[in-house]
Amino acid sequence: MKGNYRVIVSNSNIRYDFIIRRNITIIKGDSATGKTTLIEMISEFYESGADSGIDLRCDKPCRTLDGKDWKVILSLLHETIIFIDEGNVFLHSTEFAEAVRDSDNYYVLVTREGLPNLPYSVEEIYGIRYSGKYAGLKQVFNEFYHIYGQLDNREPIHPTRILVEDSNSGFEFFKGLSISKDYNVVSAGGKSNVFAYAQLYADSGVLIIADGAAFGAEMDRIMKLIKQKPDIVLYLPESFEWLILKSGIVKTENLNDILIAPENYIESSQCFSWERFFTSLLVQVTIGNYLKYSKKKLNSVYLQDAIAAKIVAAMEKIDL
Amino acid sequence: MLSIYYGDMPEAIYNPAIYFKNSYTDDWITDELSRAMIQDVDKSTVLGPRVIDSPVLGGISPRELSGGVKTLISIYKVPSKIFNASTCGDNCAKWILKIGELQNITINLRHLMDFGEDEFTARILNTEQIVHTMDELVPIAGMIVR
Repeated sequence: MKGNYRVIVSNSNIRYDFIIRRNITIIKGDSATGKTTLIEMISEFYESGADSGIDLRCDKPCRTLDGKDWKVILSLLHETIIFIDEGNVFLHSTEFAEAVRDSDNYYVLVTREGLPNLPYSVEEIYGIRYSGKYAGLKQVFNEFYHIYGQLDNREPIHPTRILVEDSNSGFEFFKGLSISKDYNVVSAGGKSNVFAYAQLYADSGVLIIADGAAFGAEMDRIMKLIKQKPDIVLYLPESFEWLILKSGIVKTENLNDILIAPENYIESSQCFSWERFFTSLLVQVTIGNYLKYSKKKLNSVYLQDAIAAKIVAAMEKIDL
Repeated sequence: MLSIYYGDMPEAIYNPAIYFKNSYTDDWITDELSRAMIQDVDKSTVLGPRVIDSPVLGGISPRELSGGVKTLISIYKVPSKIFNASTCGDNCAKWILKIGELQNITINLRHLMDFGEDEFTARILNTEQIVHTMDELVPIAGMIVR
């Protein structure tokens, strides 16, 4: 499944109106904000249609999933937006993550638990926002230029230390860039280690660079740490490969359109998260030319001054 | 006192809303503290043991209370059991602290609930540490849950 879908669900008391953009969307937030009411309305419409007194409009079928037989039911569903309420213990299981991995459905999950098995985006974590009887979704984590933290939005960030989520090409790029510069670069060796490293460097200040497309499960604890330690700043582009594509150093048909609305090009059954799509796209468009890209080992051409400068320039408000 | 176990806890009741639905009695709803929690979290007024006035849904039964309030009342009324309190939003945190001041309770948290700016007392069972602020709690609990 690809594309974005507007979902409108209403009855005589309330009307929800929101857009789903990726394969995994998280809804969380305070109690009594109508999360379960939304799920119940979708369930009742699925069971009884218009006879339920509920109106549901969406270009794709919407339904809920719960209970012990979730796996059997899920195996029958395709091109469907599936809503799952908290309280379903399978949500955090590896079995569920595996079922989502190659799925052509979109999933809307109501949970406050970080789900480390699922690579969901920091941009697809929402709370419900009300205006009278109308409810929509509001992003939980506010950003500007993919930067998160307690910041003065006007000043560029000049880090003294950079913590990079991975130990592959992204890390090699920033490490190479730091030679003869006044900041140092360390690798966290995986996103699940970022919190521990962030604590270690919290007092002296650190810029964390990670793949926003799959960093959702880490966001809550990192942002709570940032609340206490304001010298931690997060920079979360979709991925390092997205940054290279955005920098303009590679050319391919439709690239601008892809970067503006990736959801129209990314098939959920082929890409568990958007970072995989951008890696695959970058590898594909650089095959056979001097920019040949590999995620495992950085092609040294990316560290040549003119090319590196373009990639850095794509990191708005970051001064490296 | 409030005790918290972070992370997977098989003995905890994972879905307190179902437990509440099949366990509550009229006096659970009319209790003064329950009324106050329902008013504060759900912005709803208890009119009687079986009728609650909700500003959004109109007249509702206790079964239609929010998952957070169902969990709070279950924790309060059945302190011998351990409930998954990650079904509670941060707007329930002050009530968990309040219940913990009234009686000994143990809750299971699978996320970093924000207990606010003021001081509190909670025992983290995973590490046997007692914390009094979020500054103390986040570095410990953040290493266990996301």
